[in-house]
Amino acid sequence: MLRTLLLVARQEARLLLADRTLWIISALFVAIVGYGLFNGVKQAALKETALASVLQAQMRGEQTRRALLGRILHEGALPDPFANPADPSVMGGGYGGRYAYMPISPLAPLAFGQSDIRPDYYKVTNRSKINFLYDTEIENPWNLLSGHFDLSFVIVYLFPLLIFALSYNFLSAEREHGTLKMLLSQGIALPHLVAGKIAVRAAVLLAWAVIVPLVAVTILRPEARSAEYLGPLASWCAFVVAYAAIWFALAFTVNALGRSSATNALILIGAWIVCVLILPVVLNVVVSVASPVPSRTELATRTRLVTGEALTRYATLLSTDYQYVDNPELSRPQNGRIAIAGRMRGSYLMERDVDEQLEGLLDAFNRQLAGQQQLISRYGAISPAIVAYEGLTAVAGTGVRRHLQFQRQIDEFHRRWCTFFDPKIQEGIAISEADLDSMPAFVSNEEDRSVMRTSVVTGLLQLLVPAIALALFGGWRLRRYSVV
Amino acid sequence: MLEAKNLTKRFGATAALDSINLRVDPGEMYCLLGANGAGKTTLINVFLNFLVPDGGEARINGLDVTRHGIETKRLVAYIPEQVMLYGVLTGLENLSYFAELATGRKSPDDELVALLSDVGLDRTASSRRVSTYSKGMRQKVGIAIAMAKKARALLLDEPTSGLDPKAASEFSDLLRRAREDGVAILTTTHDLFHAKQTGTHIGIMKRGSLVANFSSETLSHTDLEALYLQHMQA
Repeated sequence: MLRTLLLVARQEARLLLADRTLWIISALFVAIVGYGLFNGVKQAALKETALASVLQAQMRGEQTRRALLGRILHEGALPDPFANPADPSVMGGGYGGRYAYMPISPLAPLAFGQSDIRPDYYKVTNRSKINFLYDTEIENPWNLLSGHFDLSFVIVYLFPLLIFALSYNFLSAEREHGTLKMLLSQGIALPHLVAGKIAVRAAVLLAWAVIVPLVAVTILRPEARSAEYLGPLASWCAFVVAYAAIWFALAFTVNALGRSSATNALILIGAWIVCVLILPVVLNVVVSVASPVPSRTELATRTRLVTGEALTRYATLLSTDYQYVDNPELSRPQNGRIAIAGRMRGSYLMERDVDEQLEGLLDAFNRQLAGQQQLISRYGAISPAIVAYEGLTAVAGTGVRRHLQFQRQIDEFHRRWCTFFDPKIQEGIAISEADLDSMPAFVSNEEDRSVMRTSVVTGLLQLLVPAIALALFGGWRLRRYSVV
Repeated sequence: MLEAKNLTKRFGATAALDSINLRVDPGEMYCLLGANGAGKTTLINVFLNFLVPDGGEARINGLDVTRHGIETKRLVAYIPEQVMLYGVLTGLENLSYFAELATGRKSPDDELVALLSDVGLDRTASSRRVSTYSKGMRQKVGIAIAMAKKARALLLDEPTSGLDPKAASEFSDLLRRAREDGVAILTTTHDLFHAKQTGTHIGIMKRGSLVANFSSETLSHTDLEALYLQHMQA
């Protein structure tokens, strides 16, 4: 059997090469895989550069502030009221704020995922988190509509079409050309013929879809070669193979139905439209109805209202004459105490109140978002495109779950940051050199590996079970295949 | 070698084969005559196990084709009205592939070139793409495949239909040689002259039934034509 399979596969390769189909499909596929990878690598490099710059700027800023605080405390230097490292209201704000960041995964070039709409770092201050965590989307709306041309887009959307281009008529064409009877009259079993034909097509397409990105990523991102990323890399490959298996199984089953090549093409394109375009949209609509999030407009309106009320509440403090500009001497710390400008205290209190009053709404927002994600995880199996996209982005470290976890960590960090500065601002306690060492610092925590493993196994099963079911159905139909 | 016993095949209410009984021994060539739709091609397809009979049995070398589909196909070679090959490959490459599929071993190119030469395709022709071949040349490749396979039986479905007289004559010569080598041949044809010239036995099919079955030596050309027309008009 293996000998026949290899012979058929070799012959198929020869035929595909001879009529140029394989050259054209391969060239096209390599080009789009290459372009998708190029975009991914570029995007990841940009993000890394930006993150490195931000962290470097933060480090330089902290060194500068530490030196300045030393001069103010020990050498009697006159502080600048807007850049006074001894003032907790200034240090807790934009001047001393610290970045919370999500490390860029070495596998990020494999999928943009959520990284094009959710930032990888935020500057956390004592201002309301509504100002940085839920700010306006500045992404090009056309990008949001069409998505980026990255490798996950190539795999999820275009890969099935190339599988169809090579496979829609692998059996029907033999029957239409009359070669099927010639082949089968030689004493070869139809399943062996089909297996050989699929094997060569799968080998060629998967070689381009898996090996090219693997080689590119491990060369361009040496850290991806470490043992830590072997698992995610293997998972990424498994998702591509399992996703391809579904479409190959579908092409096989459609061919086994014994229809004409034209009908096969129509059925396959129809299936692609339903599975890749329509079902994700339907699921999105269903999820939005089943677990609706408060609208952004409602959030913005509520924010304005709460901010307006807080402005009124702290109007007296906020309108305090800003004497510190003319008389910076007042900003100098004395005996561990410092005079906090009324305007600064008022701003802080206002932001704190906004956070407290929006807490419920933001919690509801986050709960509903998490609920939506749960629904998509549960019912995403209706479309292999959803399962594959979720899986590919998750193992590339750009998935929704990692970003949501990052957001929860930022929330927690923001709380710690405010808790650190709140008593100092309220009671006028100056920042000391020791405080610089004990200020909250963000530490990124990755999700538990077992959670990732479970989600990978679940995703793969969601792809492989329907692929096997389709293949079994196709095999059953093949036994009834009419050669004449 | 080739044997049909009460072979019946129905398509709905229509009997494409109605209790067909025939036998073709080694060295014999059985020519099946009949109008279009008489069931000749159906009979070939049943022998190739492309159609499953509703009754009776078809046997090749004593093996039931339904139960031993793969084994029986290894014993026969099939040449249809149009031998369909891969147009993007040369005659030699086509022969090499089909021969390897049939025999399970790769034959040396020299051996295959000699086979093609035997059937009338020289080295230049055999290295050309099949898409440039005439129908007669493709039929010759079909014969070469059968020879490479060392088939002990040939199933031919109107193999000379559409061939020019020269090509048809060459093809008939090849069949005669095969028959003389002990190959059992079952062929369908509309060509009474060809049947009389090359066949050892002749059968006439009508609406799925074998209405006449005789040795070709027992009838002259004129008698055969008269008998055929008599059955067709009845």
